[in-house]
Amino acid sequence: MNRAGRPALIGAAAFSYVIAAAALCQAVDVQITTVRALEHGPSDAQLIALRPRLRRLVGYRSFQVIGQERRRCAWQEREAFDIPGGRLLHVQPKTMRDQAVVMRVALLDGQRTLIDTDVRLQNRGVMLFGVDTDSHVADGALIIMLKAEE
Amino acid sequence: MTCGDVAQLLDAFVDAELPAHTLLAVARHAGACPSCDVAVRALTTLHDSIERAAREDADTLDLSAVWPAVEQGIERTESRQRWVRRARRVPAWGLALAAAASAFFWFQTPAFTPGPGPAHAPARLARVLPNQTVIERITSDSPRFELRRERKLGTTLIMVSTDGEEISR
Repeated sequence: MNRAGRPALIGAAAFSYVIAAAALCQAVDVQITTVRALEHGPSDAQLIALRPRLRRLVGYRSFQVIGQERRRCAWQEREAFDIPGGRLLHVQPKTMRDQAVVMRVALLDGQRTLIDTDVRLQNRGVMLFGVDTDSHVADGALIIMLKAEE
Repeated sequence: MTCGDVAQLLDAFVDAELPAHTLLAVARHAGACPSCDVAVRALTTLHDSIERAAREDADTLDLSAVWPAVEQGIERTESRQRWVRRARRVPAWGLALAAAASAFFWFQTPAFTPGPGPAHAPARLARVLPNQTVIERITSDSPRFELRRERKLGTTLIMVSTDGEEISR
């Protein structure tokens, strides 16, 4: 490459870097925590503060974290989170409205769509998805905690 | 009672949610079994430290303005009641005269014209809960799903049944 071409290349690289950094800033932090809820047994220490609320909502008494993932999701881009048990949670942040993250969330079990919803979750708020497992196969339920933070 | 039983009941024991006889049975076992005793103490310490942190947060709240505000409220109510008692003692012709005077001044006052300020008063804001969730659309291949909501923080749970049977909880 000749000397005249080098500044242009550096400029293009810097421009791409700035665009990439800006795209990264224009994103939502999504944290997915998967919890196994059971009738009996100990609960994880990290869930102690949440336990009374979980008990009231879910009806079980023991809660153990079985998976946790945090990812930066770009606006309008759909991200797939693996959920223990072979399920998938698709999260697609759409926009911010009134200090809330508007997003599409779909929980898939193979070809079946267990839930497909458009929600408006308060920024830094938490919402829950519960999967009541087949009582003939296993006890308890799977709880998916979704936290979104711009 | 075995160590396994105690491990199952440990959380409920520390939260004092067990019936009295089970509570005693766990306590008796932990008293005689060093490993269960350690487990109970560890969880109790964790529980206490969380409780202490919450109490410290509560202690930092400044409540000094609460009682003066309550007293002011009581004073306002009493003064209103005094005026009602006085008004009841005023004869009927006095009230009629006051009403006529009010009507006269009302019709003499020029019509109110809005100034250059904002056209509408700001709407009263509703309290937004930290986990408040608005469900704008929802569909499911499962014939059974439920929406549950907790009032304190507004946490929303969407519970779905995988086998289409009634949700067990």
